[in-house]
Amino acid sequence: MNPELLPWIILLLPLASAVGITLFTRGSKGLSAGISIGAIATAFVASIILFAKTGGGSLLGPLLNLEWINLQVPGLTGEASSIQDIIINFGFKIDALSQLMLLIVTGVGTAIHVFSWGYMHEDRSVPRYFASLSLFCFSMLGIVLANNLMMMFIFWELVGVSSYLLIGYWFEKPSAADAAKKAFLTNRIGDFGFMLGILMVWGILGTMSFDGISAALAKNPAALGTMGTIAGLLIFCGAMGKSAQFPLHVWLPDAMEGPTPVSALIHAATMVAAGVFLLCRVFVVFTPDALTVIGWIGAITALIAALMALQQNDIKRILAYSTLSQLGYMVMAVGTGGVVLGQGPSAAMYHLTTHAFFKAMLFLGAGSVIHACHHEQDIWQMGGLKKKMPVTYWTFLIGTLALAGVPPFSGFYSKDAILAAALEANKGWFVIAALVALLTTFYMSRLFIVAFLGKPRSESAGHAHESPGIMSFPLIALAIPSVLAGVFGINHLLDHQFGVEAHGRHGMVAEIFAPFGHSPFAAIFGVLAVVFGVSFAFALYGNAEKDPLPNALGFFSRAMARRFYFDEIWSFLIRITHEALSYVADFIDRWLVSGLMVRGTHGSFEIAGRALRLLQSGNIQTYALLFVAGLVVVLLIVLK
Amino acid sequence: MSLLLTTLISVPLVAALIVALIPGNFRFIIRLVALAATLVAMSLAITAFVQFQPQGFDPANLATFQMQHKVAWITSDVININYHVGVDGISIGLLLMAGIVAFAATAVSWEIKTGEKTFYLLLLLMSGGAFGAFCSLDLFFFYFFNELALVPTFIMIGVWGRGPQKNYATYQITLYLTLGAMLALIGLIALYVSAGVNSLDIVTLKEALSKKALSSGAQAVIFPLLLFGFGILVGLFPFHSWAPLGYASAPTATAMMHAGVLKKAGLYAIIRVALPLMPEGVAKWMPVLAVLCVGNIIYCGWVAMRQKDLNMLIGNSSVAHMGFVFLGIASDSLIGLTGAVVIMVAHGLLAALSYGLTGYVYNTTGTLKMDELGGLLRKMPFIGVAMVMCFMAGCGLPGFANFNGEMLVIVGAWKVLPNIVVFAAWGGLVISGLYMLRAIRSVLHGPTQARTENVGEFVIKEPLPASEGGLGFLGAVTAFFHSALGGGVWQLWRKLPYALLLVGLILFGCFPSLLTSKIKGSIAEVVNLSHKVSPAKAAASVTAPAPLNVADNRN
Repeated sequence: MNPELLPWIILLLPLASAVGITLFTRGSKGLSAGISIGAIATAFVASIILFAKTGGGSLLGPLLNLEWINLQVPGLTGEASSIQDIIINFGFKIDALSQLMLLIVTGVGTAIHVFSWGYMHEDRSVPRYFASLSLFCFSMLGIVLANNLMMMFIFWELVGVSSYLLIGYWFEKPSAADAAKKAFLTNRIGDFGFMLGILMVWGILGTMSFDGISAALAKNPAALGTMGTIAGLLIFCGAMGKSAQFPLHVWLPDAMEGPTPVSALIHAATMVAAGVFLLCRVFVVFTPDALTVIGWIGAITALIAALMALQQNDIKRILAYSTLSQLGYMVMAVGTGGVVLGQGPSAAMYHLTTHAFFKAMLFLGAGSVIHACHHEQDIWQMGGLKKKMPVTYWTFLIGTLALAGVPPFSGFYSKDAILAAALEANKGWFVIAALVALLTTFYMSRLFIVAFLGKPRSESAGHAHESPGIMSFPLIALAIPSVLAGVFGINHLLDHQFGVEAHGRHGMVAEIFAPFGHSPFAAIFGVLAVVFGVSFAFALYGNAEKDPLPNALGFFSRAMARRFYFDEIWSFLIRITHEALSYVADFIDRWLVSGLMVRGTHGSFEIAGRALRLLQSGNIQTYALLFVAGLVVVLLIVLK
Repeated sequence: MSLLLTTLISVPLVAALIVALIPGNFRFIIRLVALAATLVAMSLAITAFVQFQPQGFDPANLATFQMQHKVAWITSDVININYHVGVDGISIGLLLMAGIVAFAATAVSWEIKTGEKTFYLLLLLMSGGAFGAFCSLDLFFFYFFNELALVPTFIMIGVWGRGPQKNYATYQITLYLTLGAMLALIGLIALYVSAGVNSLDIVTLKEALSKKALSSGAQAVIFPLLLFGFGILVGLFPFHSWAPLGYASAPTATAMMHAGVLKKAGLYAIIRVALPLMPEGVAKWMPVLAVLCVGNIIYCGWVAMRQKDLNMLIGNSSVAHMGFVFLGIASDSLIGLTGAVVIMVAHGLLAALSYGLTGYVYNTTGTLKMDELGGLLRKMPFIGVAMVMCFMAGCGLPGFANFNGEMLVIVGAWKVLPNIVVFAAWGGLVISGLYMLRAIRSVLHGPTQARTENVGEFVIKEPLPASEGGLGFLGAVTAFFHSALGGGVWQLWRKLPYALLLVGLILFGCFPSLLTSKIKGSIAEVVNLSHKVSPAKAAASVTAPAPLNVADNRN
């Protein structure tokens, strides 16, 4: 079979599933779930086949690039100085980067689809859930496969709306509806910058396709000129919105209002990673200045998110802030890519990959716990789940260790790659990164100890039992790459993509110890951070009945719990800008435009009419008077 | 010589005549005649669209209209007026949109329960007038058909309108638009006089004025007259305040037809008449237009944010979308103007869909105040989902035709008017998102309120239209129709107008080249003519015009 058909199958199957469910199977839960799961699973198989056929490399072909909008008119000459023409394509870019992402999206997606059926099947609108989930997969795959910026923007927006539909799945709940609105609008602010960045790049380089941009910049690295940094940062705005970087990070924690599998798929593994993916795609556009800014924003995000996570008590919120923090890591890693010559952003993609696996698994594990404890989400109402839910316990442990960066789990290797890069690029970044590693271990251990160890703190925790197989099996499926992804050689694949000199392939066993050889300082620091983090956590929370930190840290703890008041700051900003401006605009519209202009015209005509009507008095004397007056005026004019 | 267009224009007008002859108490027959007429018109419009051949650009040939039909009418030394119809890339899309909207508007008029005869008569006149306006190639008939379509709004809003400000809205919309039309008429007459070719035919005028342009003085007067005259008809800032109130007070079908179709006639006139015939006017006034369109996009967007009534919000949003069209016109570029026409088609469908849906909500819940509504997505699944899609299309979501138009306008205007584009992008992405999502949040999400607690959709409540006696066989047929498949067939019929409009939006959203391939040739001609420099300036530039470097702009 023609391998060029595979991307089409991968992309269009979830779309067909979404449309099919919406139009035909709205009445049947099982059928809808089956169609949706079948679509993504088939896409996963197709992704594997594609990877096998191309060896994880590039694929080119005529079927992979079709014209979408053609606005070229032969014969229209340059007489009109501002005429331009454009052809926007709908095409796929198949290379190591997109193939890796395809495997992640479809693989993790399949696991989560299966888990969803177990988690959601008692809900009343399951078909709508699976239709939205399929729509999301279609949109996300579109982002991954896009070969030009405009197509990526289109699917960027579609992912935004899928996320809106899924966060707002329980739309009767005001908090969920508000969270969906917040997510969409925050993303839109990022999209504004993104669109301007696309226009700038197109305006200067004359092309929107990734290959075209790379070629143009390869020919003339200074082609973007003085606007290069700005163009790069504008495109980064899009990533800031989608990947929830400071200051557009406020939507992600609220997005936890959606069902837990949605949080796992969208807000851990895929959609939020799309920003990082974009940065890797257009990496050549970024000037060193732009990359420095990007790196700092990533570092700041990582730090404040980790601090905020310290004082959250909702299991999903802790994981959400953890995701924010890890995304900050990834963005910071992109920033290092330019400083360290020849590095490229492969460390960021590496961490994206491993993070997708263990974060999705952690969220699914949280879902399992929430389900078992009858929708209890406060960790201080849990406890003693080790005996009651062994599969969930062990997979959650694996996920925690991977996230904390304990060797030989996958997270250690990807984190180490970032730490090593940060060490070379900017000492400040390294310090922040190491501190964040410590905090990560600390709050994840806090979560684990409080939720799983010790004695049950409430009735629902006491009655918890392991989830059925349909929910446990995906957990196990995701645990495998969480453990082993460090030794697959993903980083080599990525290095090859970004043209970085390979460090030399070792055997699998040697891979396990590779970081200690390449960058021992970073690796050891990473391990130390873990050790300290775990120790602190056990010291504080080992047998705690309640959290000792609020008393110890006082105001600081409250600030962390209140997310450093960023939501309040944003509300205030919006109130004094847009709300005020719209008030003024409405005032002008009501009183000046409609009032003075329109009613004023109407009124003056009416007054003029009434005044002139008085001349038509029907009274001969008045007419005689006017006649004489008119005669006087005429004589004055004539005799002047 | 093709009679397709003449048939298209005559069908609604002849049907109006028939309706005038049917006694007023045969309500059902009247509605059937109107539905049949607009259905036939829609089919003819679709046929015309499919049969239309995308044309290339040939600077030598300015008579590139298809399906022409010309009948001489007044021929004299003083004036020549002929019935001349034809379509090109710009009007064919608008014609298609007009056909779909006319049918949808007729279909949703089941809410009209009194004076149906007059209402459908006026609605058919509006439809015929709209078709005629888009097809006419003689400016006299263009103006005639445009006014034929606009005047019925006075009666329709006055008699069947809603809301406490109905009467004021009626007078405002009629007088304000008449003022605009009057300015445009003065401009058209002045154009006729200055052109000196004794004809109001567009083809004749184009050929004459491309050889010898109007004097600068004439262009300085005529162009703003046309621009602002037709601009008032469209709602150019600051002459826009008639639109939100007028549409909010109008019955559903009138709002759909006016906001969807008739507003576009003004924009169409600017692109058809003002741009190609007066290049110096273009050069002088486009910067002004660019600034004013920011008023439309940003200012009206802010006003929309403050609205508490759903129809007022949509009305202001409609005016904001017109800002994008004006931006496309102001850019005077191939991409920008193509985008402008795409928005015109897309917005026509969108406005019709919006007002159709809010009309349904008003009929079932009795209110359109957003703080009295809520939770409708659960109670009215089809209408709710359609409304979500509609509002998402309104804030420029890809997959719907509006995004394609707005994107092309932004891309086309970027090199010419970058500062304005920044505002336009902010308005189109963020501000429209703000008020559209606020609307969804208030109306569709959240818990239900008192007014929305007990509503449902597509429930046969009202007495069946054919049950008024004396209709025998016809009554039996309709009773069967209502009960077929447990009411399923009737529900499908009721959903049809909204589904048709949605399909149009999604079709042109996913496959924009269906539309753009037809538009671009004619737009190329407009752009070429609007940039024509005077012979003196052309002689001064020594270098030959450079052919476009096509490869650079390839994606």
